[in-house]
Amino acid sequence: MKLIVTILTLVMLSIIFHQCVTQKKATAYDIPDHVTAANRQAFIEKCEKGKVLYKIHCSGCHGIYSKGKDGVPNFTKIQIDSYHAAALIGIDPKNHAVAKKMSSEQVDQVITFLRLRKID
Amino acid sequence: MKTFLVILILSAVVFCLSFTFRHKKEYTSLYNTTLEDFKRDQSQLYDFIKNADLGNGADREKIKKRIHDSRLKLKSLDFWLRYLEPIAYRRINGPLPVEWETEVFEKFEPPYYRGGGGLMLAELSLEEDPFNKSALLTLMDSSLTGIKTFEADSITTQLNSFDHFFLANRLYILNLAALYTTGFECPDTSNIIRELRSMMKDIRKVYSNFNVEFPATPLTADYLTLYNNAVEFVEGQSLQFSLFDHFTFIRDFVNPLFGMNQQFINTYNVQSINFNDYSLENSVNSIFDKRLYNSQNTKGIFSFVEDEKVLAEIKRIGKLLFYDPILSGNNKRSCASCHKPTEFFTDTTQATSPHFDHQQKLARNTPTLVNSIFNHLIMQDGKHISLQGQARDVITNPDEMNGVEKDLVKKVMSCKEYKDAFKKFLKYTPEEKEVSLSHISAALTLYYADFSNYHAPFDDAMHHKTSLTPEVKHGFNLFMSKAQCGTCHFVPQFNGIKPPYISSEFEVLGVPADTGFTKLSSDHGRYSVHPASEMMNAFRTGTVRNAPFTKPYMHNGVFNTLEEVIDFYDMGGGVGKKLSVPNQTLASDSLKLTVEEKANLIAFIHSLNENVIFEAPPSGLPSSSNKSLNGRKVGGEY
Repeated sequence: MKLIVTILTLVMLSIIFHQCVTQKKATAYDIPDHVTAANRQAFIEKCEKGKVLYKIHCSGCHGIYSKGKDGVPNFTKIQIDSYHAAALIGIDPKNHAVAKKMSSEQVDQVITFLRLRKID
Repeated sequence: MKTFLVILILSAVVFCLSFTFRHKKEYTSLYNTTLEDFKRDQSQLYDFIKNADLGNGADREKIKKRIHDSRLKLKSLDFWLRYLEPIAYRRINGPLPVEWETEVFEKFEPPYYRGGGGLMLAELSLEEDPFNKSALLTLMDSSLTGIKTFEADSITTQLNSFDHFFLANRLYILNLAALYTTGFECPDTSNIIRELRSMMKDIRKVYSNFNVEFPATPLTADYLTLYNNAVEFVEGQSLQFSLFDHFTFIRDFVNPLFGMNQQFINTYNVQSINFNDYSLENSVNSIFDKRLYNSQNTKGIFSFVEDEKVLAEIKRIGKLLFYDPILSGNNKRSCASCHKPTEFFTDTTQATSPHFDHQQKLARNTPTLVNSIFNHLIMQDGKHISLQGQARDVITNPDEMNGVEKDLVKKVMSCKEYKDAFKKFLKYTPEEKEVSLSHISAALTLYYADFSNYHAPFDDAMHHKTSLTPEVKHGFNLFMSKAQCGTCHFVPQFNGIKPPYISSEFEVLGVPADTGFTKLSSDHGRYSVHPASEMMNAFRTGTVRNAPFTKPYMHNGVFNTLEEVIDFYDMGGGVGKKLSVPNQTLASDSLKLTVEEKANLIAFIHSLNENVIFEAPPSGLPSSSNKSLNGRKVGGEY
């Protein structure tokens, strides 16, 4: 009997823990409520890819995860609200040699990540 | 007394300094006065039209004359306006009332509406019957609004540094090759060379004033001498644009000027803040270098791979996959089934390829993949923004290869050779946890992209490496003038991408469903992607390069020979053949080409045949742990 209770408790705990983890992942991004569950998942996957690319290729200068460089945007809430793909790769192509190198899908991933990322 | 003297000397110094300062502002003040002059001219023209009695033809003729004079004034500003704000420029001298554009850096946005107005459309509206005065005034009002943009601080502050000058000059030179000599936006063909002469002479003043204001970064004496020679050359040419020697003009003047300007851009370390420069490559010295502009990222998901050895390995796998029917739903059809890699990556035997079910035919002709990398939008309706997206679509399209992403990745990974390779490549894509269709499609595009890097005899002739027959040269000159080909198939790729090479163009030709011209092709083209009335039956302009090897022609493969295609254009497209095409963008009157002229055009088109070296197919395909997959045929079947 005791054994069954222990197992049940463990199972319950792991379910709760799992739920917490997925919940946490979902709330890392600001995705509007009307987005369907399937699209929400697709957005999160895209953001996760963008995040990896961002950390490797962007954050050296644009400090979200590091100090970044002086005078280079750190994408605060205000900056990102008025942001656009054009700003990343169009306006100053020379300074954005990195962005220019990326495939359009990768640019999309990074932009989606930046747009949907929750900023405290 | 002493203080007085000091003050006197000081004020004298200040006076002198202010004088030299004013003297040095010659370049910017030239911009301001020329723009002011043009603005005054446009508002006078507006008033003239408003007060004119347009019931009689004589007044219309007067207006036409005034428009022609205004155009010359505009041409002396063209150098700046086209570069600094191309969207506002279209309000002053737009080729079409409405254009929909998807620029390269806005690929994820729906196409933008671009309204056109101003001089070219005003001149065309004079031909309309019944004549509509208020429409004409609206077009002229558009021009006045457009001019205001160029007085804004955001524009004029750019003139204070030398950077914009060399970039604007680059666009000017590219337009000398691709637009200014073809009548792209000059409806009266008898004025094309007149306007060219006037513009080229006026730009000399821009050049000399620039050298005064920016003495540290001047145009060199060599450049100015060559430019003067170019002006002289144009002066010596006939005013009839069909007799103008486009070939010599581009080879001996425009292209060398372009090379010198590129060197200025590099040595003066010119910086761009303008999207016009987005696609252009600074390191090339010739317009006919295939690296002139970047339009597609052929590496796709492997965009950060630089190691040549790794790239070569990805290409090797890409080649195997290209020939491998494993990518289709029934393991029978491969990319190579329709894009035959030894025949310019197309299929010359079918108007359109068989549907996956083999009962029907696909709607569109198989396009060649050679030079497809020089498009911003992919597919004939511009549905895709990347080559990898296109590959993914064809592979998973139930009508074409009918593959399911999950299944086909599993099938590919069941082959040891593929599995080992992709596991290794996965290291280069840290954002991806496992091998996906994105890896497969990027390997495919990396493989076939290399076949776009070859040159044609025409390119060699532009580099003085070979000479062309008089027939070919005449054919090129016709292509750029009387035959009106060059107004849509732009130099140097001869596809629908014009300087500054940042977007793809679509045209409505009225292509018939059959060679009897009984009805219009039912394919809506671009409209199915972007439902705007102007886009009904519009298709992306393809390249003329390698055309003799890529038959049949048009989106539905309706024509089998180049002669048929040229006849179709010569007759004025669908409208010329009495089909109802209300939004046709091709001129509907006959080009009146003679038999000899048509033959020379075709001779020129043959000079664009590239010396592509194709590779033999792989001897076998990787074997799978799933035995049922091991009977795959190299290249598959239809």
